[in-house]
Parts: sequence; C-alpha cells; structure tokens
Amino acid sequence: MNDPLAQLAAEAVADPDLTYFAFAAGARSGPRVPPLMPTSAALPEVLCGRYRIERLLGVGGMGAVYQACDLLREQFGDPQPYVALKTLGEDFAEYPDASALLYSEFALTSRLRHANVVQLHAFDIDPLSQRAFITLELLSGCTLDRFIDEHPAGAPWGDAREIGLALLEALAHAHAAGVLHGDLKPSNVMVGDQGLRLFDFGLGQAQENRLPGLPQLCRSRFAAWTLRYAAPELLDGEALSAAADIYALSCVLYELCTGRHPFRRLSGKQARAMQLQAEASVLAPPIARALQAGLAFDPARRASLEELLQAFRTAPQPSSRLMRWLGRWPA
Amino acid sequence: MSALAERLRSAARTDTGKVRARNEDAFLDLPERRLWVVADGMGGHERGALASRLIVDRLAGLPDERDLQVRVQGLRRCLHEINRRLHQQLTVTAERPDPVIGSTVVALLLEGARGACVWAGDSRCYLWRRGRLYQLSRDHSLEQQLLDRGELSPQQAARHPAAQALTRAIGVAEPLSLDILEFDIFPGDVFLLCSDGLYRELSVGALGAALSLPSPQLAIRRLFDEVLGGAARDNLSAVVVRP
Repeated sequence: MNDPLAQLAAEAVADPDLTYFAFAAGARSGPRVPPLMPTSAALPEVLCGRYRIERLLGVGGMGAVYQACDLLREQFGDPQPYVALKTLGEDFAEYPDASALLYSEFALTSRLRHANVVQLHAFDIDPLSQRAFITLELLSGCTLDRFIDEHPAGAPWGDAREIGLALLEALAHAHAAGVLHGDLKPSNVMVGDQGLRLFDFGLGQAQENRLPGLPQLCRSRFAAWTLRYAAPELLDGEALSAAADIYALSCVLYELCTGRHPFRRLSGKQARAMQLQAEASVLAPPIARALQAGLAFDPARRASLEELLQAFRTAPQPSSRLMRWLGRWPA
Repeated sequence: MSALAERLRSAARTDTGKVRARNEDAFLDLPERRLWVVADGMGGHERGALASRLIVDRLAGLPDERDLQVRVQGLRRCLHEINRRLHQQLTVTAERPDPVIGSTVVALLLEGARGACVWAGDSRCYLWRRGRLYQLSRDHSLEQQLLDRGELSPQQAARHPAAQALTRAIGVAEPLSLDILEFDIFPGDVFLLCSDGLYRELSVGALGAALSLPSPQLAIRRLFDEVLGGAARDNLSAVVVRP
C-alpha cells in the first residue's frame, strides 16, 4: 500500500455517536480519507489472495493470531513459507477506526530493530472482507507462561538471568525508541530456537512527544490491560508510562525467578490496598531489592530499567548446591 | 491398516443448526493419530468459536507419541495452558472486564487395545458395546451436580432454570480440573463424541440405532438427518469412531 496511514485516518467528527479509540487524542495531521468500514464477516480462508489461514495459534482479548501460508513464497519454492498473521476480533467491528489500532501496533513495532523484539513483515487490508491484518515472523518454541509453569519453584538462575536480561534489553530498546509496550505478560514472550522475542505491542503507545503524527490509542476512551500485570495507576485510569511497563515486567521477572506471582495473583490495585510486599527471601538480595523496587506501587518510586538491568547483570550465582537446594542466598 | 482403511474408521461433522447465527463448535478427526475431539465454545461475538478452534488446532499440533500415558499427559498440559491463556493471561478492556471466552472439550485417545477419554464441560463421549449404549463422560453441569447430590429427581433437575449451566470448562476458572477415564477396547466397540446440540435433540434409542449402523459415515449421516429434521436449536457436532 502506498500510504496506509492516509487510508486509515479516521474521520473523528463524522458521527458523534460512534466511538473512536485512536486519533481521538490529538492526531496532528488531519484525516485525509474516510475511515474504512470495519466488517463483522467471518475471516476469509485466504487474505489478499496471498495468505492462506492454516491454524489458530492464539486468542487474546482483542484479536487472534493464526499461522498462515504465504502462497507467493510457496509458489517460488520457499521451504518455509509460513508467517504469523494477526487480526482484530469482531468485538472491534463497532469501532470505526479499529484498523487504526492495528496499524498503530504495526507502526510502533516496525520502528524497533532488536534481536529480542518480534519482526513484523507487513500491514495489509483484505480488499474483499475489509479485514486489516499484520503479518509477522512465525515464532517457534514456547511462551514464557508455559516455561514458568514448568518451573514451579522458579527457573534455574542461569536461565532466569538469560531470559531476564533479554527481556530487559528488549524493553530498554523500545523505550529508547519512544515506544511503550502496554501489555507485558508471560504469554507475550516467546522462548525458542530463535532466542527470546517480546511481541504483541497491540496496546503500545508512543511516549509523549515522540513519533508525532502516529495514531494514538486514546486510553480515556479505550482502556485495556491484563489484570495481574497492570500497574495500579493504570487501573486508576492514568496514562500508560514507562514506569507502568516496568511494573509489569517486574511481575514477569519475579514470577520467572520464583515460580509465583508477586502478589498471589491479585491485581496491583488490590495488592496496594492490602499494602502487600513481594516475598523476597528466595531471591538473591540484589535481585530481590531491584524487583521489589520495580514493583513499587508509587510509580515515582519505582526502579528504572537500568537499575533492573544492573541487578540482573551483576547478581551472583548461588554459592553452592546446598544453598540452591535450600532456595536461600547469602546476604 | 491401509491409509484408506484408517481414514474410514472415523467420520465427523458439524453444523450451525437452524437457530444460531454462528457455529461455535469445532471438531478434530485424526484417525491416523488416533485422536478425536469435540469442543463447544461459548462467549459473545466470535469468542466462543475462537476458543473451540484454538483447542482443536492446538491439540492437532501435539506430537504423535505411541504411549497412551504420555499422550494423555501432553493433552492435559495443552488444555491447562489454553485455560491459563483464556483466563489469567487474557487482555481485557475496561468496558468488558470479565469477558467469557471458553469452551467445553471432550477428547478420545486410542492406543492399541487401550483408550482414554478426557473432558471438561457437557460435551459427551458415548460407547456402543454389544448392543448397549454407555455414557463414558459425566457432564460438568448444574443438572448433573443436582442429580449427584441426590436432592432432585432427573425430571426436577432438568427443569431447574440453570440446569444447563456448566460447572467446568476450558477458559472459565482456575485451577482447571479435567476428568479422565481409561478403558479397554473390545472388538465391535463404537465411540461417539458430541456436543449438547446433538444429544439433547435425540433419544438414547436414536443414538444407539445410529451407532449400530455398519460404518461411522452412515452413523454420522443418520445422526445429523435426525437432528436437522427437527428443531436443531443449537450448533451440533459429532465424531463417530470404530477402532
């Protein structure tokens, strides 16, 4: 497509009865063409005459990801013609600018070039069904929630450190590029042969005053999260921030290292109301201190990514098999 | 067994029925892998259909093992993972903080002379053996719970306003508890997996008569002809297996 953003620009004043969640908060360039008409039709078997849907890989609250065969690549004999293909769910058909949300994810993620961030191929719209979709690299391996489930007492430190550093570096890269993730959780991290990949920037946003002109998800109109990983201030209605990403990532890292959610699977808001503190005796003291600071309920007191990175880079190995068996660390 | 003979030992079909706008059922018919599944999704919009499809697509991707215990364990792990995804790991919106996206599941795994049935919800597994129909799965529904407690007669339980409410399903609650039944297979056994849209429309006699037909394909045709000849108020799915 020549100018997908122009095609997607929604006419926010066209109909006051319609709810918009993108563009509503200060899109800088005015819309140039009318919005696409979203559709509630079932997903076609082949999109754009090129991508044949093969199987469903995952379902989220907002959409679904399929494995698809790229028929063009197959025609040219590519032995691995498969891609992942993400579409929004029919729930979003009622929003006139639903496709802009998906484009926003594409635009944000495309700006990231990091070994631990998923690589997107293209954003497209099936002309017949008017379905917008993203194609991206097909990842093999298992998601981090399964890895955590298979290590109920916490991952071995070597694995936890490797995964933790890769995740922290991926998020640091995104933040440095002005991109907030907005929905960090174990099932949005793939661990496999290709290494670790952070994916699903579907609730992502550009940081304030960064990437001007890009469609912005308007959280006052459309708020979404995964309850157990959302920072308490997000649940209070505050805007997404780098600190909120750090809270979510600290939850994930704590779960990875201990096998348990830091607040017994309560939401950040519930944990704050009960003044809970993540139990830290099973962690190496530098990691415990960093994660507890990362889980601070007050975003102003929360650890920075650099502090978390430093802790994961320098934390010692368990001193002996006995200490490891006991799950205790020298002070 | 030749590939053709293997394929012919089972048959499956799903239909939207006459009332529902969309089919939220899904099935898996993999005789070469000795694995068959029916899932009946629930949730608004397309959520139910996605949940049931996710179950069958993920189960289709399980490795082909030759040990029944290993297979059952892999299938259970996969269902627990899907349950976690559809429940605690689900992204929700402030407008819909607690969306329903779930599905029943009933799976049949065969290996040599042994078989296993794994289920959650009210989709059923029946066995037709020596002219008698046995229900191998026990529904996870309020109706069944009331019957098990012995507080109500079958007629009273069926009339309860929430009789069909599920007490277990994939994606609905944590922790997920799956029921498993293992059994020996006898020559002449025929298995039926089906969603409630099929068995609620047919008598036990009609189910047995269909399963006594000489092939799974004939049995499926008879079952669907009978339901679609009636009210067909729900989506209906069935898999018939003659090991």
